Amino acid sequence: MKLFTSAIAIAASLYGAQAFAWEATEGRPYEGQTVTVLAVTSSQFAAHEARLAEFEDATGIDVVYDYVPFPNMKEALTTEMVAGGDYDVVSVMDQWVSSLQMLMQPIGPEMEALGVDLSDFPAAHMRHGMVDGELIGLPVRGHVQLLFYRTDLLEAAGVTPPQTWEEMVTAANAIQDSSDASGVALPYGKLNGQNLMVWMNLLWGNGGDLFDADGNAVFNSEAGVAATETYISYLAEEIVPAGSAVFVEQDAVTSFKQGNSAMLPVWWWVRSQLSDPEQSTLTAEQVGFTALPAVSGSDRTTFTNTWVFGVTQESDSKDAATEFLSWLTDPALERDVLLDPELTEVVAVHMSNLTDAEVNERWGGMHQAAADALATADGIEFGDNWPRIVLILETAISSLASGEETDVQAALDKAAEDVAAIR
Amino acid sequence: MQDRLLPYWLLIPAFIIVLATTIYPLAYSFITSFRVWDLTKSRRPEGFVGFDNYIYAASESAFLNSLWVTFIFVITSVALTVVLAMALALLLRRKGPMHTFTRIILILPFAMSPALIGVSYRFMFNPEFGVIANGLGAVFPSLQGVPWLADPQLAMGILVLTDVWHWTPYMTFMCLGGLASIPKETEEAARIDGASNLRIIFGIILPQMRGVILVMAVLKTIFALKMFDQVVTLTGGGPGTSTETLAYFIFNVGFRWFDMGYASALAWILTLIMMFISIWYVRMLLSDRKMATA
Repeated sequence: MKLFTSAIAIAASLYGAQAFAWEATEGRPYEGQTVTVLAVTSSQFAAHEARLAEFEDATGIDVVYDYVPFPNMKEALTTEMVAGGDYDVVSVMDQWVSSLQMLMQPIGPEMEALGVDLSDFPAAHMRHGMVDGELIGLPVRGHVQLLFYRTDLLEAAGVTPPQTWEEMVTAANAIQDSSDASGVALPYGKLNGQNLMVWMNLLWGNGGDLFDADGNAVFNSEAGVAATETYISYLAEEIVPAGSAVFVEQDAVTSFKQGNSAMLPVWWWVRSQLSDPEQSTLTAEQVGFTALPAVSGSDRTTFTNTWVFGVTQESDSKDAATEFLSWLTDPALERDVLLDPELTEVVAVHMSNLTDAEVNERWGGMHQAAADALATADGIEFGDNWPRIVLILETAISSLASGEETDVQAALDKAAEDVAAIR
Repeated sequence: MQDRLLPYWLLIPAFIIVLATTIYPLAYSFITSFRVWDLTKSRRPEGFVGFDNYIYAASESAFLNSLWVTFIFVITSVALTVVLAMALALLLRRKGPMHTFTRIILILPFAMSPALIGVSYRFMFNPEFGVIANGLGAVFPSLQGVPWLADPQLAMGILVLTDVWHWTPYMTFMCLGGLASIPKETEEAARIDGASNLRIIFGIILPQMRGVILVMAVLKTIFALKMFDQVVTLTGGGPGTSTETLAYFIFNVGFRWFDMGYASALAWILTLIMMFISIWYVRMLLSDRKMATA
């Protein structure tokens, strides 16, 4: 299997090396038009903005970026959806796509006409831009989960990076026996479903899922109960820091950065923070990574997170916006940012870049690990009710973690009832 | 004639602003509360459903839980704030350089943003690096490593604490204003007659502060009913749903679930609760005045 994956990687890498470069529509038909972009604050998007001259010179289209911090982004998009008319292109997180579908218009035929290679996007990222089978957004920013670990603490404890969740517990206990650090930092608190990100992998690894083919909740199945009991057991086994019951993702990351925890399963984009001297007490040599552990005997899994860019229904410059989108999703632009020595931008959503030899050389093979994880990741079907389902599920996990609820089966059954009762 | 109409003309700009920013949104949300409006499906409100949204609220456990959480929060935070504010005002009513300095320092918590207060307390109660959590652990070793915000009761207690810390200074200044208006002669006469400090406070000062305390209690109740910022930044409504206040629940329904019709109905339930309290307060004040003039 590994040989097969490597063969795909080499082929994709060769393909990537001669990846087509974006070309403007002949005749500059949209010259003089302005495209306004509503983007979430991100160094990756700032890097795109810094490279706009190439696009603007080639097309005569003027592009204006407006940035909104993540905590306010959904409100900004909601306002744009209801009031409309301020932006031509918007960035939307995968979980919001379905509930904000009135904001964006289908772009499939336009992208095809402009020669955008959709097959270069991993399936898990690609599906998050689809609503009812229609493409309404293209992935520009995408994340997978990796397990970051303290190389020095693992070495001192005499353990290797864990490949299964069971091995993670063993490693965590060994680390705690040989140092003051907690074994692993995990989020159990409520915030945008962050306490579901690792739990979901245990659910999949145990053979469970959130819903069956008919859309009925099945996370309260035997597999769901086993996954939840495992996740909650890390608290009882005290391999997580004190107070983890209310940790959100940032708390877990901070615990790792402060040297208080030895392992951290989290999004790959966090890597640059972990050894940033302004934010972290750790050096680059102290931080290692591996793919997210699997449940013994099961395939590796990863939760994915995708930001798609789409053209708004109310846009006055739809064609110019579509042209901009084709430039923005060009693999060559992404590669240029990844290899820019002035930047520490790791995010990539094109298989050709994820498996690119030069990219992997610069980033220590992290992108290949992501490509391997994405090869078997399906992503999730986020429906209209996803925000409410997330709240119900994260509340159940939070209640169990805090001891407010003690019966896992009963808590999951109640959550399933609440999901079924959604109007 | 022109002079008589001039005040009304001058009021028109203010009236238009109030109409646009208060009356219109209130009326719009009231009408929306009787309609279906799923923002994921439609940009505009759809059909009328009568009292369905209100009836659904009465049967929904999440709403009833938020109502109960809000009740607990309001009772504890109002009682603690009023008592502490009164006590502090009694301590600070004397004049002197230390008293003036303390009064200036006292205003700082009120000047802070509620969201920032939530974030700060979240950090301070973090068992790994929180200054309060570690300070308590150093003084009382049995409290070392206690996950303060992970326990439903403690989380509610800390939420109340942040609110009391935020509002007590403002309420203290209200009390100081009230205390300044009490004639000194009554208190001096009581002292000459040999009344103790406690007797003076409960027998002379507090009865004369009744109106001020009532205003404080009502204002604080209305602010407490709207508790939102610290819930978002301190507890996220958790653990579980133990700190999910009504305002936070309404935000979730409206801006996370996009069920605008239901969110409008819930917002009106909250508005009605506040209206009842305000009406009761005005009646109490009016009856106080009647008694005073009788």
